[in-house]
Amino acid sequence: MFKKTAIAASVIMMSITTAQAEDTYRIGITQNNVGVDSYQTTYESAFEAAAEKAGNVDIVVLDAGGDVARQIGQMQDLIQQRVDAIIIWPTNGQAVIPAIRQAHNAGIPVVVTNSKIAEAGLEFIAAFSGPDNVQQGISSAEMMCDALGGEGQIVQIAGQPGYTTAMERATGFEDRLAEACPGVELLETQPGNWNRERAQRVMEDFLTKYDRIDGVYSGDDNMGVGALNAAKGADRADDIVFIGATNFAVGYDAIERGEYYGSIYQSPVDDAEAALQTALDVLAGEEVPKMNFFETPKITADNVSEFDRPVF
Amino acid sequence: MTRLSIALTGAFQGDFIQVISMASAEQSKSRLPTGKLSKAGVMSFLSAQGILIFFLLGMFVFSFFSEQFLSQSNIMTVIRQASIIGIIAVGVTVVIIGGNLDLSVGSMLSFSTVLVVDLHDKVGPTNAILMMFALTLMIGAVNGILIGFLRLNSLIVTLAMLSAIQGFVLIYSGGQNVDIADQEGTWFAFFGRGYLGGIAVPILLFGLLAILVQVVMSYTGYGRRIFAVGGNPMAAVYSGIRKNWCVFSTYLISAFCVACAALVLGSRVMGSQNNVGQGYELLVLAGIILGGTSLLGGAGSIWKTVVGVLILGFIQNGLLLMGYPYYIQWIVTWVIIILAVWLDLANKRKSLFTTHS
Repeated sequence: MFKKTAIAASVIMMSITTAQAEDTYRIGITQNNVGVDSYQTTYESAFEAAAEKAGNVDIVVLDAGGDVARQIGQMQDLIQQRVDAIIIWPTNGQAVIPAIRQAHNAGIPVVVTNSKIAEAGLEFIAAFSGPDNVQQGISSAEMMCDALGGEGQIVQIAGQPGYTTAMERATGFEDRLAEACPGVELLETQPGNWNRERAQRVMEDFLTKYDRIDGVYSGDDNMGVGALNAAKGADRADDIVFIGATNFAVGYDAIERGEYYGSIYQSPVDDAEAALQTALDVLAGEEVPKMNFFETPKITADNVSEFDRPVF
Repeated sequence: MTRLSIALTGAFQGDFIQVISMASAEQSKSRLPTGKLSKAGVMSFLSAQGILIFFLLGMFVFSFFSEQFLSQSNIMTVIRQASIIGIIAVGVTVVIIGGNLDLSVGSMLSFSTVLVVDLHDKVGPTNAILMMFALTLMIGAVNGILIGFLRLNSLIVTLAMLSAIQGFVLIYSGGQNVDIADQEGTWFAFFGRGYLGGIAVPILLFGLLAILVQVVMSYTGYGRRIFAVGGNPMAAVYSGIRKNWCVFSTYLISAFCVACAALVLGSRVMGSQNNVGQGYELLVLAGIILGGTSLLGGAGSIWKTVVGVLILGFIQNGLLLMGYPYYIQWIVTWVIIILAVWLDLANKRKSLFTTHS
């Protein structure tokens, strides 16, 4: 990472003296926690590939390792280096606002990617680019409603407590379900911490607790497959509809096999490309809407063949 | 009340209670002072049995609030869920009896699980399992050499290993989740999902390992040497025990147990995340402390650890069945652990509150 930064920095040093300087943008990105999950890892390589393809971009790639303090430090480094734009995948939507304001005051446009920041910080950013997690929850609720014919008892396995993504998906799901599908009762919600084994344990306990479960909504497919494992172990998988989000390869396969009703297709490649494009549009002086959501379509057995199998 | 008594007469629950009363008999044998019933004696009994009393009380309360809590299927589910932590805890108990700590087991579990799942599709299940055991034992050996022979502090070494191994896992997997492609068509599923004679394989593995290690610790010269080394290393060395080798071997046992747990975990989930074992070291320690094994070394028993791990499992399951959120489970678990440590200490100084005599 440091080597990459150093190379990028030295490339810039050299390019400043050449005539190309005006055409080449230098964009710094500070990511949340590359390596903890496949999504972020794929995002990083897709971002690098997109920058390569764009041709006129030099990137400085940093990773906060999930640490807010480190991310704030990285923001300050990027401001010091006077990059043309900063893309930030916030580790915490509240704590990073002062650092974003600092960049804003230094005249560096900031694009927030993937996860939103708190309302108070919106005036300091040029744009947000990412998936609409509330909409994803809404889509999942609609799929659940379709799958159950508007009648039934379901449980929810949510993501890690405190994660914006987890909260937005749960809110979108619960609100839309209550509105569109009053016949479907949400019995209980427990967090699965984005962890398949944890989700499997939670589902095993749900299966003990409730004699009748018609559907399970999981905050991502990784947990959803854990719930599916638990139901299979209890010989109850055939009676239960499984709906997830962030389609993982295992979820994709389960949809193809007909064991899993549906999910939300969210590509880290689209996510990375959209973030870079948004930053480039901002730099080119185009009118960019504040919130830029990329498409996250519903994926079920009917349309699974239209999508590529996720790489994670 | 009737529900509880009906449940308690069930065959399996009977066995379970028997296990607990066996453990409690052992505790009282070692802790109750001889002589007539004195205030100190009552106090000592209460402090020695406090956790068990608390446990039985908890079981009663849970059974009152949740019909399913004492059902046979739920009890089996809880023991199966607890078996991963339990298998690791068996190994770590040996390390602790030998006077050291092992905080690297969580990271090692991530490492071993990612390894065995990833290798499964590349070299087939048999080779994957063999290679995973070999590499996990190698990590255990590194721990053992650093702590046993170089005599570095075990807390620092295993804490460093915790981070180092986690980093290694991320490099190995490139940050990607690993999955077994054909989840249905492999006998690898046996270890986490299979049944043998009506009992889940993880439970059998947990039970077998616990019995084996308990027998070794109680009835062999090797076991006595580990106790001696943990209790008084100086005296052990003077009496001709090769302390370095003893300490080294405890880390191999711990690594072996982690490898067994990884087998169960990988097979149960049929995939692995890089950080799947994160936090397990604390849960393992929690189970051991709840069982009453002193972190100072030289004392403890595998049975007590088994009971401790089961208590942990039943608390978390019971709270979930009662509909309490996840956070409450953490708070209650750790309150109970602190209570356990306090009672243990109170038992040693024969008083609940005084700190100086």
